Amino acid sequence: MAVVPQPQHEKPSRVEEARAGFARYKADVKKRGKPFYPYAMFHDTVMSLIVVTVILGLAAIWKWTSYGPHHDGTHQGLLGPEYTAPADPGTTSFVPRPDWYFYFLFYLLRIFKWPESVFLGTVGVPTIALILLLLLPFMDTRLERRPSHRPVAMVAMALTIVSMAVLTWKGATANEALASEVIANVPNWVKQEKLPPQALPGAKLFATAGCTACHTYLGTGSSNLGAPDLTAIGTRNLGITFQVNHLKCPSCVNPGSPMPKFASLGDTRLHQLAVFLEASKGPQH
Amino acid sequence: MPYSRKPTRAEIRRERLQEAINFPLDWLEERSGLVGGIRYFLFRKVPADTNWMQTLGSAALTAFLVQAITGVILAMYYKPDPKDAYSSIQNITDHLTMGWMVRGMHKWGASVFIILMFLHMGRVFLFGAYKYPRELNWIIGVLILVMGMMEGFTGYLLPWDQTAYWASVVGINLNGTAPFLGPWLAQFLRSGQEIGADTLSRFYSLHMLLIPGGIISLIGLHLYLVIRLGVTSPPWSREAAGMVPADEEPVPLRPGLTRPVPRTIAAAQGDAGGSE
Ligand code: HEC
Ligand code: HEM
Repeated sequence: MAVVPQPQHEKPSRVEEARAGFARYKADVKKRGKPFYPYAMFHDTVMSLIVVTVILGLAAIWKWTSYGPHHDGTHQGLLGPEYTAPADPGTTSFVPRPDWYFYFLFYLLRIFKWPESVFLGTVGVPTIALILLLLLPFMDTRLERRPSHRPVAMVAMALTIVSMAVLTWKGATANEALASEVIANVPNWVKQEKLPPQALPGAKLFATAGCTACHTYLGTGSSNLGAPDLTAIGTRNLGITFQVNHLKCPSCVNPGSPMPKFASLGDTRLHQLAVFLEASKGPQH
Repeated sequence: MPYSRKPTRAEIRRERLQEAINFPLDWLEERSGLVGGIRYFLFRKVPADTNWMQTLGSAALTAFLVQAITGVILAMYYKPDPKDAYSSIQNITDHLTMGWMVRGMHKWGASVFIILMFLHMGRVFLFGAYKYPRELNWIIGVLILVMGMMEGFTGYLLPWDQTAYWASVVGINLNGTAPFLGPWLAQFLRSGQEIGADTLSRFYSLHMLLIPGGIISLIGLHLYLVIRLGVTSPPWSREAAGMVPADEEPVPLRPGLTRPVPRTIAAAQGDAGGSE
């Protein structure tokens, strides 16, 4: 078989260079390396003992500042309660909060507030970040490993660390409207919106059922997941039936809606909520 | 063994003991090759300049093992049913002997595990250790990281308290906003229209069977590749394994500072014009 003679390159190709580098690595380790046991294993063991100690320490602090002195696992303690009240799908005066390592995702949602862009925050940005992370070894194929010679990689790393830290911090300190504070605003709503008396039970429910975790109403609450401001929702005249159906199953009425289902509140309360929403025509003068 | 004199009792005892130890090892080695494998694992050479940052991987492994052990114990007392989940958690934390320790370690160990994975990933990035020939191990690492976070998500619902319930309601709804697969994924996680008993068993099964199984297999692959390919030296180390030898490197160390030419070479160059 005739072999086409390869033109002689001055410089070896990157693949050849990589292979030569790895062969050199293997030879170096064989010649100058030290056995894993006991050298590296000693470091690993010390580190692992530290890890277990830290975990045990956290568990102890958690217990002995919550249930320990108070005989009540819902006591805040230094590291948070052991558990909160039992899950109750009926009363939703609860502000949803994920574990801390999801805070950055949680906060990303507030950046993409508008309904059309919510999915960017929930899946778009994280998916792109994940794909970039997976493809990293194929995007950065230079053989150089010294940080001082990889300015782009180092800047990217610094930016990633800073933005993750900022998002986590913002997520941790995000000011969630507490039900007790929200309900204090109800008389003010009645006055400003001139709500009729039959809308009052619905207003109170709205304040305590967790709606303000995502919706704003006359400036109260926080805007989340692209949920609209409901100050003047009544002007759209969606109708009681629509409101009840939407609350029962938001995604059945508005496909793709991330709003939770509130069917468990029961028909009476859903009706009260709907009356309140329909009566909300914005500030009246 | 032939003795030139009669062996003493102590010598005979030592020899018997040696045989007693060797026999099961030889038996195992003959049938599995495991003894040789472990010996290879322990005595394989690693670069002489590996440092403390390179303990983060095994630290993450330790944290994972803590999760596995405490998780198995928790599963003996936890009841994945909306009626009993909350009270079983209360019982474990407040009444069971050492229960607070097991649950506390599992809860806080999860955070430590995630932090260690991120730190380990950071050191791999800093070292450029994701480059040839370790690309595959980086990808496996990213998959482990994602699965680790999925463990966090599914485990969060299990105490069935308000925090757990409402965080999962929103979390599942968020999955639902994804185009195409989103609604299907939300439906799958919820296993129905509402979060309820079926959701809890589903999360429990994912949390203690499927995802940990996946993580364990991936950790196995990860460690296989670490052993096969070896760990990288710190790239800034003067004796980094695989570095181009200093005297072949053409670039100066710092601007204006070139490596001093060794005397013997200088002398040889001086002689170059001679009539040798
Ligand atoms: C987890 C966040 C969240 C919570 C909690 C929430 N919503 Fe929503 N809501 C949304 C989002 C997102 C939308 C926009 C998508 C849609 O229309 O379903 C929305 C839309 C609405 C709309 C407008 C529907 C339309 O067709 O324009 C109303 C009315 C509403 N919500 C009422 C409520 C009430 C009442 C509560 C409390 C019982 C509540 N929401 C709780 C996220 C939330
Ligand atoms: C359960 C989680 C993990 C465990 C138990 C684990 C374990 C290990 C161990 C023991 C090593 C040997 C060297 C060292 O400790 O630094 C290692 C190396 C490595 N890990 Fe991980 N790891 C995990 C997660 C990850 C993640 C999230 C990534 C990156 C996305 C990653 C990428 C790598 C790479 C590329 C190497 C080779 C490094 C080198 O050769 O210097 N690992 N891992």
